Amino acid sequence: MRTIKLTLNDTAVTREVEDSRLLVEFLREDLKLTGTKESCGVGVCGACTVLIDGKPISSCLALAVHADGCAVTTIEGIAEGDRLHPLQQAFLDHGGFQCGICTPGQILAAKALLDAKPHPTRAEIQEWMMGNLCRCTGYYKIIESIAAAAGAE
Amino acid sequence: MDGASLSGKAVGQPIKRIDGVAKVTGRARYAGDIELPGMIYGRTLRSPHPSARIRAIDTSRAKALPGVRAVLTGADVPDALYGRMCKDVPTLAKGVARFVGEKVAAVAADTIEIAEAALELIDVEYEPLPAVFAEEDAIQPNAPVIHPETVEVFSGAPVAVHGELVMYPPIRNVISRLKVHHGDTAGAFAKAHRIFEHRFSVPAIHQGYIEPHTCLVSIGADGLVDVWAANKGPHIARAHLAAATGVPENRIRFNPVVIGGDFGGKGSLMDIILCYCLARAAGRPVKMVMNSFEELTAGNPRHSATITLRSAVDRDAKLLAIEARVIFNAGAYAGFVPVPTLHGGYGELAGAYRVPNIAIEVLRVYTNTLPRGHMRAPGAPQVTFAVESHIDMIAREIGIDPLELRRRNAIAEGDHTPLGEMRRHLRCRETIDAGARAFGWDKPKAPGIGYGISIYEHPAGNFGRSTVALTVGTDGRLTIQVGSPDTGTGFHTIAAQLVAEHFATTVDDVEVVQGDTLTSGFEFGASGQRLTTTIGQAIAAASDKMKRELTALAAERLNCAPGDIRIGGDGSFSASGATIDRRALMGWAAARGKAPLTCEGVNAPEPSDRTSFAAHFAEVAVDRETGQVRLNRVVTAHDIGTVVNPVLHQGHIEGGLMQAVGQAMSERLVLKDGAVITAHLGDYKLPTMMDIPALETVLLPGGSGAAPFATTAIGEMSNVAVAAAITNAVFDAVGVRLVELPISAEKIVEGVSKKASAA
Repeated sequence: MRTIKLTLNDTAVTREVEDSRLLVEFLREDLKLTGTKESCGVGVCGACTVLIDGKPISSCLALAVHADGCAVTTIEGIAEGDRLHPLQQAFLDHGGFQCGICTPGQILAAKALLDAKPHPTRAEIQEWMMGNLCRCTGYYKIIESIAAAAGAE
Repeated sequence: MDGASLSGKAVGQPIKRIDGVAKVTGRARYAGDIELPGMIYGRTLRSPHPSARIRAIDTSRAKALPGVRAVLTGADVPDALYGRMCKDVPTLAKGVARFVGEKVAAVAADTIEIAEAALELIDVEYEPLPAVFAEEDAIQPNAPVIHPETVEVFSGAPVAVHGELVMYPPIRNVISRLKVHHGDTAGAFAKAHRIFEHRFSVPAIHQGYIEPHTCLVSIGADGLVDVWAANKGPHIARAHLAAATGVPENRIRFNPVVIGGDFGGKGSLMDIILCYCLARAAGRPVKMVMNSFEELTAGNPRHSATITLRSAVDRDAKLLAIEARVIFNAGAYAGFVPVPTLHGGYGELAGAYRVPNIAIEVLRVYTNTLPRGHMRAPGAPQVTFAVESHIDMIAREIGIDPLELRRRNAIAEGDHTPLGEMRRHLRCRETIDAGARAFGWDKPKAPGIGYGISIYEHPAGNFGRSTVALTVGTDGRLTIQVGSPDTGTGFHTIAAQLVAEHFATTVDDVEVVQGDTLTSGFEFGASGQRLTTTIGQAIAAASDKMKRELTALAAERLNCAPGDIRIGGDGSFSASGATIDRRALMGWAAARGKAPLTCEGVNAPEPSDRTSFAAHFAEVAVDRETGQVRLNRVVTAHDIGTVVNPVLHQGHIEGGLMQAVGQAMSERLVLKDGAVITAHLGDYKLPTMMDIPALETVLLPGGSGAAPFATTAIGEMSNVAVAAAITNAVFDAVGVRLVELPISAEKIVEGVSKKASAA
C-alpha cells in the first residue's frame, strides 16, 4: 500500500492504494465516481478516458499511483454546479449520444482538444477523437456537438 | 389523427433526449455502477476445449482461499436448462463442455482479484472429444453430435413462421429447418431466359455495445430477489429466472437501469441465473461483469452464414424466381435465440423485389463454437449482403446498369413480396430515384472510383406486448410508466413526445418512469424496429381511456353530460362557453378525492401492409496496388411517414450505417480450432471516427405509417443493406467481386492480379 495525494476535480484527495490498483477502479470503486466507465480494458475504446494534468489518458491502463501529485479531471468535475460545461450542453443540444456509455469519455477527450485548440477543423476533431469508440451514433453527431461547442466558446 | 394535425409542440420536434443530462454528466446509472452493501464479485472458469467430457473438478483449493465466499460447478446449480426457445443452455457445464469459453465453474469472492486467483486454483480434468466448427461439416452424417439429448422447445415464439418448420429434423446437428415457398419455382426456372447461381459467406461479428454484459443479484432477508442487469426485456428475463430457479415471478424484481447499447445482444440471460446461484450460496449480493475478452470469445454474437442464391430472369431482366439456401452457424447452443430460425434469413429475403416465385430453405446448425444470438435485424444483414450482391452480379452479367435492374424489379404499389405478403403505400422507385439524383449516379468517375447501390425493405415490427401506465397527477402533470430500459434507442423520449402530443402539451409536462417488474406491465422491449409502433399504440390506448375519464370529470365539474364536453386544441375541456384546463380540473378533482387518475394501455398487434424502404448509394476509392478501399461518401434515401423526433431518427440512420460499414470493412470474429482469437478491441476492429464517409440523407416524407400519427420505423433500415452497396462499389471500381465479408486488401489485390493474368 502506498499513499497518494492528488487533486481530483479541484479537490485535494489523499488515499492509500495498492501499487497494482488501476486508476479506473480507484475512481469507480474507491472514490465512488462511477461516471468514468470501463469497457475494453486495453486502452482502445476510450470509455475510461479521464484527464491527467489536462491530457486525456485511458484510466484502464493507468495505475492509481500514476496520479500521485497530479490534477485529475473526471466527468463529474467539468460542470459548474448546475451549469453544464459547454461541451455537455452541446452534446445535449445536438444529440451527440444515444446509450450514453461512451459519452463521459467522449466529452473529456473533446475537452482536452478544445482546451489545447479552441477552433479545430473537422479533420482535426476526427483525428483527435479516434481513440473514443461509439457504437450507437456513428460519430456524426459527436463531431457536430464538438464543433458546436468550439463555435460557442 | 395523421401527420397533418400535429400540434407542433411534441411529435415531429427535435426534442432533446429526456435522459440527456444524466448521460452527459456521468450520472446515468448502468448496472455496473450500482453498489450494494456487502456486495462481492463473481468470475467464471471457462473451458479451453471446444468439445470435452468433464471428468472431474476439484474446487477444494479455491474454496480455501481467504475472501472466497462461494465456489460452484455444474453439480451445484439447478438442472433446468435455459433457452429463449430451445432449452439447451446449462447454467454451468454439466459433464461436457461444447465450446471454448463455456462456463465450467464459478467463484464469488470479496474482490475480483481474489475471485480470479481462486479460478486458477480450480483443477478440471478434461477428456477432449472430437469437435466440428464449420456449419457445412456439422451437418455431415459422420460429424460429432453436439446435443445428443432431446432439447425441449418452447412453442410460444413471438414471431409467426410461415412455411414448413421442423425443429430438430433428422439431420445431424440441425436445430431447425425451415422451408418457405411461394408460387412455382420449378416452372419458372424451366421458362427462364437465363439462370444465375452464386454463393456467399458472412462471418460472425459482435454487437459491439460498449457496456459489457453486467448483472447484480441480491437476495433480501425476506427472500425477494433483486436484480439489476443489462437486459432489455426484464419481464421476459424474470420469467426465465423464475423457471430456472423455482423462485416465483412475483418474488423477483428486475430493477430499472440504463443500458449501454444492446443491438440484439442483451436479450439473453447470460450470467443472471449463475449470479443468483452465487448470491444464494454466498449469502451476499453478487455482481458479475463479462470483461471484453469474455464478450468477444464467449458472448452471443451474430450467426455466421453461407448463402447460395439461384435466380431465373426473363428476357427483360425481370426476376422470375429465386431459390435460396441459407445455413446459419448457431454455435454450441440454440438457447440465445428466441425464435426457431433467424427471421431475416427468410422474412426479408429479396423483399424489396417483385419476385413471383420463391423457394427458401434455412438451416440453423450447431457447431462447437461460441453460441450465437441476435444482432440488428437478425439474419437480414447476412442474407441481404448475398441478395444485393447477387442482383448486382446478375446486372453485370446481363450488361444492365445495376440501378436500372433494381428499378425494373423493385416492389411497387399493390405488389406482393416474394413470400406473398401484400405491400401497399410503397414508393420504392421514387426513393431509388431520389437517392440516385442526390448521389449523382450518372456522373462520370475518376479511375479507381466505384459506385454501388443496394436496396432494402423491412416492415415495422408489430409483435410482442407493450404495456404503459399513464397517470394524471393532482397538479395535472402527466406521468407515463414504461416497462423496459432505454437501451440507447431513445424510446423513453419518444414515449414522452407521444404522450405530450395526445394531450396537446410539451414534454416538460410529462415524466417518463421505468418501472420495475413488480410495478410495471409487460414490455417486450426493443426488437425488430417495433417500439415506436407498439409504444405508440399502447400510449394511444391509455390516452384515449384517460381522456374519457377526464371528460367525465370535466362534465361533473361543468355540470353537463360527458357528451357535451369538447376537448380543445390546447387540451382544455369546454361545454356551453365554460372552459377548464387539465391542471385546474385535477386540482378540483383532488379536493374531492378523485385524483390522481391512472389508465393502462396495451398495444394491439395487427397485421399491416405497410413497410419501410431504403436505398443506399456508396462511393469508394480503391487502390489497385495495395487493395486499400476508402469509403468516400454514402447517400442513404428513406421513404418515411411522420418522424417523431428528427434528431433521434437521423441518429438511428447514422449509427446503423456505421455498423454496416464495420460489417463490410473491418469486423470479423476470427476462429482458430473453435476459439475466437480476435479477443480484444485491438484485434477486433470496430469503426472509429476516422472511418466515417461523407453522408447525405435523403428523406421522402409523406408516406403512410402506423396510427395514430402515421409513424414509420427506422431502427433496422440503414444497418442491413449498406455492406453490399460498398462491395458493389468495389466491383465497379476494380472489377473484383467480393463474395465474403469483410473486405480485405489481400482479396482485392488477389482479385486484381487474377483479372490481369486472365486478360
